[in-house]
Amino acid sequence: MMEKVVEKIFQSQFALVDLREILRKTKPVFNLSEEQKQQVVDIIKVVRESMDLVEKVLVK
Amino acid sequence: MSIEAKIAGDIEVRTREELFINIQPIQVAGRLTPEAMKALIAYGDGYSVCDWCRKPFRLDCIKKPPIDKFHKEIAEFLGMDVARAVPGARRGFQAVANTLVEKGDTVVMSSLAHYTEFLAVEAAGGIVKEIPPNEKNIVTGEATAEKIEKVKAETGKLPKLIMIDHFDYSLGNEHDVYGIGKVAKEYDIPFLYNGAYTVGVMPVDGKKIGADFIVGSGHKSFASPAPSGILATTKEWAERVFRKSSMKGDLTGRVFEAKEVEMLGCTLMGANMIAMMASFPAIKERVKHWDEEIKKINYFLEEFLRIEGNKVVSEMPRKHTLTKVDTIESFHKIAKTHKRKGWFLSDELKKRKIVGMFFGATKTWKLNTYGLTWNQIEYLTKAFIEIAEKYNIPHTLAKKVEKERKL
Repeated sequence: MMEKVVEKIFQSQFALVDLREILRKTKPVFNLSEEQKQQVVDIIKVVRESMDLVEKVLVK
Repeated sequence: MSIEAKIAGDIEVRTREELFINIQPIQVAGRLTPEAMKALIAYGDGYSVCDWCRKPFRLDCIKKPPIDKFHKEIAEFLGMDVARAVPGARRGFQAVANTLVEKGDTVVMSSLAHYTEFLAVEAAGGIVKEIPPNEKNIVTGEATAEKIEKVKAETGKLPKLIMIDHFDYSLGNEHDVYGIGKVAKEYDIPFLYNGAYTVGVMPVDGKKIGADFIVGSGHKSFASPAPSGILATTKEWAERVFRKSSMKGDLTGRVFEAKEVEMLGCTLMGANMIAMMASFPAIKERVKHWDEEIKKINYFLEEFLRIEGNKVVSEMPRKHTLTKVDTIESFHKIAKTHKRKGWFLSDELKKRKIVGMFFGATKTWKLNTYGLTWNQIEYLTKAFIEIAEKYNIPHTLAKKVEKERKL
């Protein structure tokens, strides 16, 4: 199970890097295209789900 | 709003790439790809690439992660036979100079050469002789041949090496590397092509250029962290520049036969190595779109020049995104009476979320638009026009022309 926790931590970090990249491409006005908005939604989902699992294994 | 997150103690988080348009002349093509950023996260530990290091215990031979494969592919990518990742272009210059240049030998290089080329020759005991650029600030094959003849007449010997920057750091002008490659062959003098501003942003083919050595910079043009770079060469020269150790310890009898002397064994270890490798697929793709980057800088300058008094010091039309401009007759006139002096322009740009120009400069200064999207180019253009308007500097309003670009 700890392999899964580590995997999810890296997945989250990588997803957040992708989120930084969206900021870099849209700065300084941050007018995101529909596609970029969907990417943000997908990234947040990955991070939330990953952190849910991490919480479940390490805390609960 | 300032960012309160700290890395440790007083080390702040760097947010200029997330919040600002950065036009800093040497930073922009070294901005990391997301893949390189992920590499830093996963491979930041010191000897992280050494988990699977096996005989002959040398970085460029490691198979997992596939560092050996990267070395082969990068050589091929540059039209060369053998390559090594090095900690910065300067270490590439140093390896070549140490190998070829002996005390008192002459090396010819452009008068627009980077200072690290000078230092590499100096460290090897050599003497630099500079090739003057022509009236357009271009170093030509003809001028190189003339300098070689001059050195020969003065010293009775040919120079040991020719080092030429394809695009120089000062003006971003393109120098006649193909012509110089031919001259190098005619005189049988090895030719080091300095691709610090080309390798990683535009196609570079060492064979076509006639280069014996290609040096690239990871942190300048290869979307990689500093220090990182590439030294590539031909099979013939590889034997010399990547020569292996022949030293034997007099007490222990130890030998290090697999280690390359100029590389001091292993070169670019850890996260920097993996970040270069991680950026490589994106690099291979982005060099195909160099023409689009050139369209962007030329579009920006076309608009920038609508501001009365603005000039471009670099060659025009631009062949590189790194560009030197002259605003002595426009923004500098404002600086003379502004309470913030030259800082006013940096202030105005920063207010508009644009950073990277030399703080306080209003006479001649450099910028680089590499990697900006068309929307960002448009934003940058409008910002300069807005500042001109604010300070009553005349400009001709840009016509709204439908251009072949994605807005």
